[in-house]
Amino acid sequence: MLPELLCIAVLGGILAVDRVAGWSFMLSQPLVGACLVGALIRPGPEWELWALRVPIAVGAILQLLLTNASLPAAQRPHDTAGAGVIGSAVALLGLARLHPVLPISAAGLLWVVVGVAAGLLAAVAGGWFARLSGASVASAANRADALADQGALGSFERLYGGGLVRLFLGGALWAWGGTLFLLGLALWVLPYLAETFTARRAGIVFAALLGAGLAAAFHANVRRRAHGLRWAVLGVVVTFLLLRAFHAGPDVGAGDSPGGAP
Amino acid sequence: MNELDPDARVMREPVIERPPAAIRAGDLARVATRSLQIQAFLSPERMQGLGFGFSLLPVIRRIYPDPKARGVALRRHLHYFATHPVLAGFVLGAAARLEERRANGAALTDDGIDSYKRALASPLAALGDPLFWVTLRPLAGLLGVIAVAVLPHPPEGEPDLRVLLCPLVLVLTYNAVALPYRWIGVSRGYEHADRPDVLLRSLRLAELKTFLERAGAFAFGGLLALLAAGLDIPSSAWGRQAGGRVLELTPLLLGGLVGFVGMRRWPARSVEVGLAALLAGAILAAAR
Repeated sequence: MLPELLCIAVLGGILAVDRVAGWSFMLSQPLVGACLVGALIRPGPEWELWALRVPIAVGAILQLLLTNASLPAAQRPHDTAGAGVIGSAVALLGLARLHPVLPISAAGLLWVVVGVAAGLLAAVAGGWFARLSGASVASAANRADALADQGALGSFERLYGGGLVRLFLGGALWAWGGTLFLLGLALWVLPYLAETFTARRAGIVFAALLGAGLAAAFHANVRRRAHGLRWAVLGVVVTFLLLRAFHAGPDVGAGDSPGGAP
Repeated sequence: MNELDPDARVMREPVIERPPAAIRAGDLARVATRSLQIQAFLSPERMQGLGFGFSLLPVIRRIYPDPKARGVALRRHLHYFATHPVLAGFVLGAAARLEERRANGAALTDDGIDSYKRALASPLAALGDPLFWVTLRPLAGLLGVIAVAVLPHPPEGEPDLRVLLCPLVLVLTYNAVALPYRWIGVSRGYEHADRPDVLLRSLRLAELKTFLERAGAFAFGGLLALLAAGLDIPSSAWGRQAGGRVLELTPLLLGGLVGFVGMRRWPARSVEVGLAALLAGAILAAAR
């Protein structure tokens, strides 16, 4: 598991720099983090199908849920980058390890639900973790003033570079530690609940999450927009017309993909 | 007096004759590259202040040969500064122009430069935050999710390339809009430092926001239609088995209700609303 955790840590570090340092390339969005974990982690050849579909579904649900249209200053300090990475990693690493004790029929949707739950918890805990490192920024600012007064521009640059490294290491540490902790929690708790987790129940929870995600997306993209409802209705009509024109809708149902509704 | 006009506020003395310090295009390119890390030391006290100083260093090095003067110039830019990170380049470019003039003898005071920066940064933040955070980011995420539904599933035994394509759709959508602003920001700010009003109008951010808002609402409608088609809601079977279908859709509707009410009441707490929906789904699942 060490190589997988190393990949997760490096990815977590890169995404943390994207989210915090100002790259803002949107690599830190949950869908990106979750899918990149899916592309990097291989739970084993027997899981080839789920290894890619579970992270896509986890990322899609987290993306819908966590796309907050509030301004960053108004938001709670949640770690959306860590949510995708940790949620997807817990689902994939747990999938292979808990397979013997959990029913196969529930495997796909169950691990999507587990991944989303882990991602949401990681988002909350990641916000606390980020707050812990906030104090070092204030002392760095005082040090930067002193260096500028001395005209030590090189030292100032090194201080700033150190800040970037600190961000990377903080993100990597959180992705690594958060994955280990939540994976351990899943491995400890889920076997006790094995009897409870049927495919049907996993489907119900998945559908509730999907519904909440759609509501969140409605708030982010339609509500309070000028003529938002009108454009949304237009989108519905045009898509239906296109689907009809092509004689086949996309496979959104759970029968084929864990990314769809149950 | 125009608040954004630096000369009107800070020109106090005649220009002193001395060898001109000129900024090169390469310096501005280095400033643009460094501005990608402008928030590494983000704090409530100074926001992007340290990052602003770090980004401007190539210019400071070019125009001030004396190390002490360089330190003083850097110190000037370490104070509070806040704008949208994508649009920070415009202020950096304008600040580089002011520093160049000051190095060439123009009587620009510290307060004058700081006031100019704030006066330009505030409208850029007011236009940039709603455009990039509130409108473009949700739209890009939505398109990434739609890609999950519309991209074809791979044939049996082949890897599911959606795992790479869906995030790519998201990242490309966002950066197709944001990157050009980052690319031109510093040079355009440098060029139009004298006419910040013209600079702000030329960005056409408000018009772009209106367009993207409509695109976001349209895309949400598209996602709903794709989901409805996947659930076979418009089919004739719906009419015959209405009771059963409603029961099937109960968890989806329950989650939607929790999400709608929760996000309306606590718009900044999407994670907690998601956890509430998870709990509601778990209770419903246990009850069935």
